[in-house]
Amino acid sequence: MTETTSAQTTAEKPAGSSEEERPLLQVSDLKKHFPIRGGLLRRQVGTVKAVDGVNLSVKRGETMAIVGESGCGKSTTGRTILRLEEPTGGEVIFDDPDLGPVNVESADRRTMEKIRPKMQIIFQDPFASLDARMTVGRVIAEPLVINKVLQGQALRDRVAELLTLVGLRPEHASRYPHAFSGGQRQRIGIARAIALNPELIICDEPVSALDVSVQAQVINLMEDLQDRLGLTYMFISHDLSVVEHISDRVAVMYVGRVVEIGTTNELFYSPKHPYTEALLQAVPQPDPRQRLEVVPLTGDVPSPANPPSGCYFHTRCPYAQPVCSEETPPLREIKINGVETGHQAACHFAEELSLKGAAVSSEETIPEAASAAGATTA
Amino acid sequence: MTDGQSDTIVSVRDLEVEFPTTLGVVRALNGVNFDIPRGKVIGIVGESGCGKSVTARAIMQIIERPGHVTGGTIEFHRKRTEGAATDLLSEPEDKDAATRSGGVDIAKLDPNSRAMRSIRGAEIAMIFQEPMTSLNPVYTVGSQIEEAILLHQTDDKEQARTQAIDMLRQVGMPNPERIAKSYPHELSGGMRQRAMIAMALSCHPALLIADEPTTALDVTTEAQILSLMRNLKSEIGMSIMFITHSMGVVAQLCDEVIVMYLGRVVERASVDEIFYNPKHPYTRSLLRSIPRIGAKRQEKLEVIKGSIPDPYVRLPGCTFHPRCPDYMEGICNTIIPAETLLPGPTRHGVRCHLYSENNEGEPDPRATPQGADGLQDGKQPATAATSEA
Repeated sequence: MTETTSAQTTAEKPAGSSEEERPLLQVSDLKKHFPIRGGLLRRQVGTVKAVDGVNLSVKRGETMAIVGESGCGKSTTGRTILRLEEPTGGEVIFDDPDLGPVNVESADRRTMEKIRPKMQIIFQDPFASLDARMTVGRVIAEPLVINKVLQGQALRDRVAELLTLVGLRPEHASRYPHAFSGGQRQRIGIARAIALNPELIICDEPVSALDVSVQAQVINLMEDLQDRLGLTYMFISHDLSVVEHISDRVAVMYVGRVVEIGTTNELFYSPKHPYTEALLQAVPQPDPRQRLEVVPLTGDVPSPANPPSGCYFHTRCPYAQPVCSEETPPLREIKINGVETGHQAACHFAEELSLKGAAVSSEETIPEAASAAGATTA
Repeated sequence: MTDGQSDTIVSVRDLEVEFPTTLGVVRALNGVNFDIPRGKVIGIVGESGCGKSVTARAIMQIIERPGHVTGGTIEFHRKRTEGAATDLLSEPEDKDAATRSGGVDIAKLDPNSRAMRSIRGAEIAMIFQEPMTSLNPVYTVGSQIEEAILLHQTDDKEQARTQAIDMLRQVGMPNPERIAKSYPHELSGGMRQRAMIAMALSCHPALLIADEPTTALDVTTEAQILSLMRNLKSEIGMSIMFITHSMGVVAQLCDEVIVMYLGRVVERASVDEIFYNPKHPYTRSLLRSIPRIGAKRQEKLEVIKGSIPDPYVRLPGCTFHPRCPDYMEGICNTIIPAETLLPGPTRHGVRCHLYSENNEGEPDPRATPQGADGLQDGKQPATAATSEA
């Protein structure tokens, strides 16, 4: 089943090298195009290539982050992987613990029913993603009920256990979502996502809507749960400081394509794509003695309905050469002194450019811990 | 601290705002004090519900009903060259809004009065977080900017149009003539925010209030907007009151910082002091809880325990005490700390019992004293140097 779709992958796939290291998720040439309809007969007049040939793999137990500006297709990628959106092309091989590798995008209904519980999602807006007319207990129990996992007292016990696991109290089950703060609601969303013991959770901007102090609580909770339940996260975010904190590897997307993938350290401190450099430079440093003097990137993200020729980034790239507007650079392995690093970038000049990594704010701006030891709670 | 009237543009004293609701009274602001110096960027930081937006709306007199100002003053001063601010008071019933120092107490003006309407937009302008909801979708960007100009500056439509296009050019819009003819939905988020800034600046206000203007934008666009605001500030010579919850943005843009928590200013100082010498336990915790690039990975983020209390509950003493790592039983939960001014070259005020010599603040929330009594050397915090996480 996995070989049916011809994968016109431009990138070297590190997948399938050995049985033990088979990735949990292998995304190959994933495409999602939305038609633009217009005119009297609603004929298709154009295509928004929201996701246009994404290749990446996620290893079991790691946190893979997808970053990029709004409209770059990171959320659509996440949704298409779960097949919440029907893909236009490409395949997503999910290594199910029972069924083995399954192509999510072409699986039939019965297979989907079996693998859906293993792939869950946490949404950005904790206010919109919980049904206001269901008690928290019912919200969390719903996946268990639909999949006929538990019922009666066992179900109630499991809901109580899940609530405790995410740092809420079992008696919260009878309340309605409106009685909770943003951070607590996000905990409820997390409890619902882990109810079926999933392998993979796609986290679509899970902390963007939260306050700073609450954001830290939720991030710590997510890391905790990952350790305890052996979860794999795909963490979609535009906040690079959160991404650096939580992820093992990072993929940078620009106008529907992955332009760079690498380990968090590689990508943050020796980026190989000019866009990554610009993104890193633009992060506002919480240090008044390190002010950004030059605007790292001018102009706007090009429209995915009408992307530029060649490398999509050439219109804003400070290092652009004539070749950049003519040839599309493939996502390729970057060799440093002939050694493969697992670091991939889609830039004609990835090896030649010496790009700046993330700026690091002074340690002095981190105040010392308060006297009470209780300040760090898990 | 009311000295130097000439270089403060707005001074807010003991400002209180309440929202009576069916569930009880929400006291959004409990005695807020600060000054906005002329030509400076002052940052207001705090988490949601701390009252930063309400403060801005109180200055603009656009608090949504049933909320209203229940106490305190908001004194507005114009530049000397522009004539006294009291010139704006044309109606006889506004006369009691004039202050002794020649300013106007906005809190005493009727929100719909002629004087308030001539201040709002022309003297003090505001931009909002979500540019899509604050622009009218059925009018072109140009006509919305012209509206403000026609209202405050000129009756000549042609002149208003050229001025609007000039303004769009000044905020760095490519092809301003075309942009003026486009509708908001045709612009990207960053462009819309630029259009909002153009509209706000079209009447050359003395103070621009920016309520989380970059929160909905991407980092790259945010960097563009911040740099634009920095340049416009020096070009136009206005003051900016910048409301945000992002410590990064504060560090990048502001000259002075006010940290708010539950309707009170808990700490105010220069930006360098706030980041390199923060005093209030809340500010310190906030700075420790933000993920930073380059901080050691895998280290747990420090959290502020608990969450922001329910707005209907009125907490006795310091409102931060249930979450405070330096909580002192018997003091913090009974006495509201007064503002203590710390010694040093720059003004650094903090409302915390760790720094006040006498712990006899005022138990009555309405009578919180204001700085002046706290000039003595603040008790060195036992906390700062001792333990390490």
